[in-house]
Amino acid sequence: MTEIIRLLKFFRVYRRWIALSIALSVAAIAANIALIATSGWFITAMGLAGLAGVAMNYFTPAAMIRGFAIVRTGGRYAERLISHEATFRLLAVLRTWFYERIEPLAPAGLQAFRSGDLFTRIRNDIDRLELFFLRLFAPAAVALLVSLMVVMVLWLYDGRIALTQFGLFALAGVLLPAAVLRFGAAPSERITERTARLNMLVVDSVEGLAELHLYGQAQARAASLRALSDDIIADERRLARLSAISQAGVGLAANLAMFLALLLAVPAVALGHIAPPELTMLALMALVSFEAITPIPLAIQSLPGTLASARRLFAIADAPPPVRDPLEPVPVPQQGDLVFEGVCLTYPGAREAALTDIDLRLAPGRRIAVMGPSGAGKSSLVGLALRFWEPSRGRITYGGVALDRMPSDELRRRFSVVSQHDHLFTATIADNLRVANPGASDADLEDACRIAQIHEFIVAQPDGYRTYVGMNGLKLSGGQARRLAVARALLKDAPVLVLDEPTEGMDGETEQALLAAVMKARSDRAVLLITHRPVRLETMNEIVRIENGRVVR
Amino acid sequence: MSFLKAQKPFAARYLTLSVALSAANGLLIIAQAWLFAAIVAAVVVEKRDLSGVATWLAALPPLFLARAGLAWAAEYFAFQAAARVKSELRARLVSHVMKLGPVGLAGEATGRIVSAVTDAVQMIEPYFMRYLTAVPLVAILPLAILVAVLPHDWLSATVFAVTAPLIPLFMILIGAGAERMNQRQWRKLARMSGHLLDVIQGLTTLKIFNASRSEAARVAQMAEAYRRDTMTVLRLAFLSSLVLEFFATVSIAVVAVLTGFRLMWGDMVFFDGLFVLMLAPEFYMPLRNMGTAYHARMEAVGAAERVVEILDMPVPGSPSGTRKLDGGRGCAVRFDGVSLIFPDGRRALDGVSFDIAAGERVALVGPSGSGKSTIFNLLLGFVAPSAGLVAIDGVPFGELALDDWRRRIAYLPQRPHLFEATAAQNIAMRLDGADVDREAVRQAARQAQADDFITALPRGYDTPIGEHGAGLSGGEAQRLALARAFYRDASFVLLDEATAHLDADNESLIGRAVDQLSRGRTLLAIAHRLDTVRAADRIIVLDHGRVVETGSHQDLLARGGTYAQLWSHSREGRIEP
Repeated sequence: MTEIIRLLKFFRVYRRWIALSIALSVAAIAANIALIATSGWFITAMGLAGLAGVAMNYFTPAAMIRGFAIVRTGGRYAERLISHEATFRLLAVLRTWFYERIEPLAPAGLQAFRSGDLFTRIRNDIDRLELFFLRLFAPAAVALLVSLMVVMVLWLYDGRIALTQFGLFALAGVLLPAAVLRFGAAPSERITERTARLNMLVVDSVEGLAELHLYGQAQARAASLRALSDDIIADERRLARLSAISQAGVGLAANLAMFLALLLAVPAVALGHIAPPELTMLALMALVSFEAITPIPLAIQSLPGTLASARRLFAIADAPPPVRDPLEPVPVPQQGDLVFEGVCLTYPGAREAALTDIDLRLAPGRRIAVMGPSGAGKSSLVGLALRFWEPSRGRITYGGVALDRMPSDELRRRFSVVSQHDHLFTATIADNLRVANPGASDADLEDACRIAQIHEFIVAQPDGYRTYVGMNGLKLSGGQARRLAVARALLKDAPVLVLDEPTEGMDGETEQALLAAVMKARSDRAVLLITHRPVRLETMNEIVRIENGRVVR
Repeated sequence: MSFLKAQKPFAARYLTLSVALSAANGLLIIAQAWLFAAIVAAVVVEKRDLSGVATWLAALPPLFLARAGLAWAAEYFAFQAAARVKSELRARLVSHVMKLGPVGLAGEATGRIVSAVTDAVQMIEPYFMRYLTAVPLVAILPLAILVAVLPHDWLSATVFAVTAPLIPLFMILIGAGAERMNQRQWRKLARMSGHLLDVIQGLTTLKIFNASRSEAARVAQMAEAYRRDTMTVLRLAFLSSLVLEFFATVSIAVVAVLTGFRLMWGDMVFFDGLFVLMLAPEFYMPLRNMGTAYHARMEAVGAAERVVEILDMPVPGSPSGTRKLDGGRGCAVRFDGVSLIFPDGRRALDGVSFDIAAGERVALVGPSGSGKSTIFNLLLGFVAPSAGLVAIDGVPFGELALDDWRRRIAYLPQRPHLFEATAAQNIAMRLDGADVDREAVRQAARQAQADDFITALPRGYDTPIGEHGAGLSGGEAQRLALARAFYRDASFVLLDEATAHLDADNESLIGRAVDQLSRGRTLLAIAHRLDTVRAADRIIVLDHGRVVETGSHQDLLARGGTYAQLWSHSREGRIEP
């Protein structure tokens, strides 16, 4: 429930759009009810007038019928436009909010969400919340308003009809869907769980495809994937049966409403309490007004999923930032020594310490290579220097000032980094490069790419620097992506250059050329080169070897 | 599109059933309208009271129940139709992916396959459940209503008959325009809607470049641009439902007004008028349902494309013979003029010939892309040569029973995959939960130097490993994969050395285990390390898909060719990246 209230708070900014959208929807449905009911009244009245041979004012009802038809048609179209408009505006608010909330968490606070599976879940969750208004909130509000209006109109003619109508609305719109939801809870849960398992097993099978074949497990695995899929479908079948009940239930309730209206109104007509044309009108109104209830069963079915999505997203957004900026920050020195003193780091939940008792000093203009096998903890040095993590013990200073006394944003301006998991955005190559320096000229980009040995490759592409890369773009090899990342880092003008495995996935020749060009072009910078490959170490002032998180000499 | 249609036979029986039930429900609607008109006419015109219409009234509740039952069953069978197709498609996707194998699948992102198997198949559901059930009803129900109305009121029947064909006509005209526009916008929209996720995944990179805060504005901008572009599409797309709504609603109004006047002039009986008015909205209902389902169709078409993309990936040839090799350790391998050209024209191997004697230890060396992994893939049976002959113990590879041959191989890839299963199951490679021979597993783990760390895991050999289980280091994963090799007691070892530098402990442990494993077996290794190369009886040097040199380490160094060049690039005993 608190999730709903929190979601509703996002609506406040666009309450006018929302109100308009709901008003239009109510108008469209009400116009349809009125159209049918008035038509019923009109033909009954005209029929009776014809039989009695008396005249009647037919202009007004005929005009009303035409009017309702126009309101219905136009209202429907306008309502769909406005409700989608409102949805997309809410989407923008929601996305920006979520981004701003998780920005301070990265990367340490998002460590647990690094695997692709969880990113996909974030995406699905956000998609689901975006439909909250369109599929859930708006239909519920409209159903409530329309049914109240209908019950009130019926009340003017006959209290008993109004009450039965109210009861049937509640039955079809609330009780039946709620019951279905309850009985569907177990299968729904199983579906969520098994779908996650299916996802996981498909990933497992694709990545282990060679091993599955070699160990004769391919057939068995295919069979178990099929069985899992069929288990999911079996539960979906249970849900489909249930949801069919609530949908058929709405139709049944509508017909019963019409039936009960007749049952109650026919004697009233005989008694003269209700005029004959009103009999047709009331019965038709009772029947047609269920149009407002029709979307409710589906809306209610999506409620638990939406709430679960909201809960997950709020949990991520509410997580406290793992590294806090100081309240009274000290300005960051322009240049200075980067010093690690007795630094230890143990990642939360890790079996062993990533780094133990690290002492390191990188003076301006000096070059240090950090060597060691993969998994030795070399990259953790980078995370610490950028203050993405805080050391569990020990002290890190820059220009003599402890890192935790400086604003981390300012601190990062002193570093130009090629990290191990540099992300290529779904954007053009030029845009990807300009992430490092939005003001860089085309010539700057080309210079950097020449140094990174990737310029030739880029200009060979049909769209050159305007080629799209990333998820929906050109697929780059590991080595090409690394070279692009190096070019990007070169575009940022900072006194310290940190290169974490910059030549991973490149052949020996390119590796040599790239490192030589970088060292030559940035001869005045302090360099921290992290690598497991002993290439071009002669240009380094110092070589530090790390194994199992410790410096070995 | 044609792909979706081709799936119809799987669902045909249920679809027919569902449509038939809905059609029956439609006929009952006509009966209901007749009863309603009769009751009201009797009360209003003949001034009958409740008892005067009791028979007709009593007929209504059973009718309602029957309709509800039919509606329920129609919906259920519509689901069954979709369920059949979903089950069938998943099975086909899974078996095709298995057939493709690692070579056929190369370059395809895992995520795309996962989303095809789960999401895309799910998104096809509404096409069968909603669209295909709605289409036949558009032809059946309005016709039935027209037949019912005609004897009572030819004028209203004419209004129906004239408007009905106009609606689909306009919808198709507008729908086609919207679809064209949709496809044009699709890539753009996909990029924009994926933007947030892209940015979140790249948050660390943004932070490193001090761009993470300013990106918030871009997130808002993108969402705004997405809204504007989507609304442009929707304004047009919604026009088709506007047309539908317009004709349906205006026709009801016209029928009502025309009926009213004819009633007043005495040209019509009241019962006929009310009966027709009751059926007017029902006449347009199937069209309206199809209009809603049309959207489901568009989504399903997009999803189907993702499924077809995978089902259309060509399966690389693999041997399908039946000959089994004789027992015994070590087997001789012969490559005779073997070439392999991929469907995209890439030449992976170009006339490669060599012989490996039983029990020999051979190292493959060469720059990346020189064809080393292709030789492995050929031997593993993941791809067949385009020309030339591969033979094992003199038996042409194409005649081998693949299962039997694979059972003789121990394969150690660079990055062995650990399955979502326990350590013991991963060693015995029984992933289906069947019992494994504990003692044999332990013995294999001991030989692979893996027993110590496995015993130290929280639940020992029963600890779940894999991505979602206990994280193992690269060296530990290698040793576990070695245990697999020991467990199956193969005669032929294929070893692709890890390029990532392991720490000294792991390296020596693995080195020792490999040494033991290759004793008495044939070993073919893609070598990156000096020790491996030196220990090899022979080195085969590849470049651009050809064998350029063969010989021992010393011979090749002395020759001063490709191998010597590779060697000069190396430091610390590494000969290739």
